[in-house]
Amino acid sequence: MIQDYLILSVILFSLGILGVFSRRNVFAVFMSIELMLNAANLAFLAFSRLHESMDGHVLAMMVMAVAAAEAALALAVVILLHKHKGKLDTNVFSVLKG
Amino acid sequence: MEHTATYLGLIPLFPLIGAVVIGLLHMLTCKNNPLPEKLYGALACIGPLLSFFLAVVVFVHLKGMPAEQRFLVHNVFTWFAVGDLHIDMGFLADPLSSLMLLFVTFIGSLIHIYSIGYMAKDQNFGKFFSYMNLFLGSMLILVLGSGPVVMFVGWEGVGLCSYLLISFWSEDTNNVLAGNKAFIVNRIGDLGFVLGMSYLFWAIGAGGFDYLSLKANAPTISPAIGIAVCLLLFVGACGKSAQIPLYVWLPDAMAGPTPVSALIHAATMVTAGVYMVARFSFLYSEFPVAGSVVAWVGILTALLSAIFGMFQKDIKKILAYSTVSQLGYMFAGVGVAAYSAGIFHVFTHAFFKALLFLGAGSVIYALHHEQDIWKMGGLKEKLPTTYKTMLIGALALAGFPLFSGFFSKDEILFSALATGHTGIWMIGVFVAGMTAYYTFRMIFLVFHGKPRVQKTFDHAHEPPAVMTIPLIILAVGAALAGVLNLPGIFGGKLIVSHWLAPSLIEHHPHMGIGAEVLAMIASVVAVVIGIYIAFKKFGQGAEEPEFKGFAKFGYYKFYVDEIYNAVFVQPYKGFGSVISRFIEPNVTDSHVRFSSWLYRKAGTAFKVFQVGYVRVYAIYMVIGLSLMSLFLSQSIN
Repeated sequence: MIQDYLILSVILFSLGILGVFSRRNVFAVFMSIELMLNAANLAFLAFSRLHESMDGHVLAMMVMAVAAAEAALALAVVILLHKHKGKLDTNVFSVLKG
Repeated sequence: MEHTATYLGLIPLFPLIGAVVIGLLHMLTCKNNPLPEKLYGALACIGPLLSFFLAVVVFVHLKGMPAEQRFLVHNVFTWFAVGDLHIDMGFLADPLSSLMLLFVTFIGSLIHIYSIGYMAKDQNFGKFFSYMNLFLGSMLILVLGSGPVVMFVGWEGVGLCSYLLISFWSEDTNNVLAGNKAFIVNRIGDLGFVLGMSYLFWAIGAGGFDYLSLKANAPTISPAIGIAVCLLLFVGACGKSAQIPLYVWLPDAMAGPTPVSALIHAATMVTAGVYMVARFSFLYSEFPVAGSVVAWVGILTALLSAIFGMFQKDIKKILAYSTVSQLGYMFAGVGVAAYSAGIFHVFTHAFFKALLFLGAGSVIYALHHEQDIWKMGGLKEKLPTTYKTMLIGALALAGFPLFSGFFSKDEILFSALATGHTGIWMIGVFVAGMTAYYTFRMIFLVFHGKPRVQKTFDHAHEPPAVMTIPLIILAVGAALAGVLNLPGIFGGKLIVSHWLAPSLIEHHPHMGIGAEVLAMIASVVAVVIGIYIAFKKFGQGAEEPEFKGFAKFGYYKFYVDEIYNAVFVQPYKGFGSVISRFIEPNVTDSHVRFSSWLYRKAGTAFKVFQVGYVRVYAIYMVIGLSLMSLFLSQSIN
C-alpha cells in the first residue's frame, strides 16, 4: 500500500532530477525543481497516513509555502537573466562574471 | 632603608624613559617645527642625573652594611622559566657593580651635559640624545644585571647603541661602514659569550643562573668545561673590549661624534669586557690557565696598539689606540687575578680617557672639524682651559707619578710581577714608556710649537662653558682618583681594593717593599724616558716627517685590516656569491619550483570538473548526496 505511493514519489523525483540535468531552458529546470518538491510532498503525506500523525501534513504545507516564495523569487531572477542576456539558455550563464 | 633594593630597577629605567620620550618627541616634530635644543638637552640630562643620584643612595646604603653582606638583590619579575632554566629580570648591587654604577652615571651625566654644547645646531639633536639615553640605560642594565642573561641584554643594548651612534652622521658612507664593522665584529664576540653562557648553564646552571648561585656552585665545575667557559666568555670580552684579534673595530668607531667616543668607546662600554671577567672572578680564579691566556692577550694587545698609536695622524685615532692599549692593561690585570687592580684601572681610565676625548672634542670643535694633528700646533694660547685639562689627562694616561693612571697601572704591573708573570711585567713597563711617548707626541703637536695652518688657528676659540666645565670636573677626577687606592708604601690603605673584596675572589700577592719600590721606579723611568723622547722630537715644533719605512707600516696598522679583508671578508663574499649563483638557483630553489609546478599541474588536472554549467554541478551534488545516503544506510545496518 505505502509502497505504491513511494514508488510514484520516486518516479516523480527522478523525472525532476532528469529534467534538471537535461533541460537547458531555465523555465523547464525550474518546473523540474517544483516537480521534485511535490514528489517529496507526496512521500510526506504517505508516511503521515502510515504513522497516523499530522507531522507530515505540517511539513507538506511548509514545503508548499517555501515553494511559493521560491517561485516568486525565481521568476524575478529569470526576468533579470533574460534582460541581461536576452536568452533563457542555462549554458549561456556558465561564468560567474557578469 | 629596606626600600633601597627597589631603587635598583629604577636606575636603568630613568634613562630608558628619557630615550623613549626624546625619541618620540623627535620623531613627531623633526619634520615641521623642531623643538628647541634646550628642551632636549634638559630632558636628556634628567635621566642620567636621577640615576646618578640613586647610584649614590645605593652606594651609601651598601657602605652602611657589614662588609660581607653588601649585596642588594631586586627581582623585578620572572622573565622566563624553562625546565631548570629560571631567569629573573633581576638587579644586583654589590661593591663591584655599585662602583661601576657610580662612575658610569657620573661620567655619563657629564658627557650628556658636554654634548649639549658639542652637538649644538645638529639637525638630529633629539635623535642623538635619545640614543645616548638608550645607551646609558643599557649600560646600567649590563652593570646591574643579577645574572649573565640580564647582563647579556645590556651587552646587546650597548652594542646596538654603539652601532647607531658610530653611524650617527649617516650621510657619509664611511661612517655607516664603520658602524657595520663595529656591529659585525661584535657579533663574533657575542657568539663566544652566548656559547660560554650555554656551557656554563649546562655545567652548573641547574642550581640557579644568577651570579650568587653560580659563585656558590663554581667549585663543582669540571676543569675542562670551566676553562672552555672562561675562554669563550673571554671571546665575548675581546669583541666588546677590542682585544686581539677583534680590536679592529674600535679605531674605526671614531667616526661617531666625539662625545660618543668618550662615553661609549673609552669610558664605559668597552670596559664591559673587563667588568665581565671581574664578575666571573669566581670562575677565572679557579682556572689560572684561562687567566694567563687573558693576561697575555691583553698585554700583547697593549703592545700592538701602542705601536699603532705612535704613528697615527688623527687625534681621535691616537686616543682610540691608546684606549685599546689601556684595555689591554686591564685584561692583563684581571688575567693575573688582580681583579681589583683591573677594575680600578677601568675606574681611573674612565676619568682620564673621557677627559682626553672631550678635550680632543673641544679642539676639533674649535678648529671646525680638523682632526689631523699635523695641521694643528700652538693651540695652548687659544684654548687655555682645554690645554690645561688635557695636560692633566695626558699625565694620568702616561702614568706620571701621583696622577691617577700611575697608581692603577702600577698596581696591575706589580700584580703581574708578584704572580710570576715576569714577561707580562716587562712588556707592560715597555708599553708604559710607549704610552707616555705617543700621548705627549699628541700634546706637543697640538698645543705647543707654532701653528702649522694659520687660517684654522686664527679662527680657533675656546668652546662654551657647557663644554669646559665637564672638562674641569673630569680633570679633577683624573688627577685625584688615584688617591682612592693609594698603596701601602704611600701610606694609603687600598680603599677601592678593600671595597671590592666581597665581590671578587682574589689573593693579594705580597713581595717585599723593596721589590715594590723597584718595580715602581722601573715604570717611572720608562714614563719619563717616553715623555723626554716625545719632547725632544716634537716639543719645539716639528714638521711632518717623510712617510716611509716602519712609520708607514705602523700608520697602516701592519695592514691588519687588509689581511682580515683578504683572509675573511673576501672568501666569505666569494662563498656568498657561489651560493647565490649556483647553490641557490640549482639546489634550494628547485624544491620551491617543484612544489609550485606540482600545484600548477594539479590545478590543470582538476580544472576539467569546473565546467561552469549549473546542471553539471547539480549532478555532482546528487552524486554526492547519493553516496552519502548510501554510506549512512550502510552504517545504520
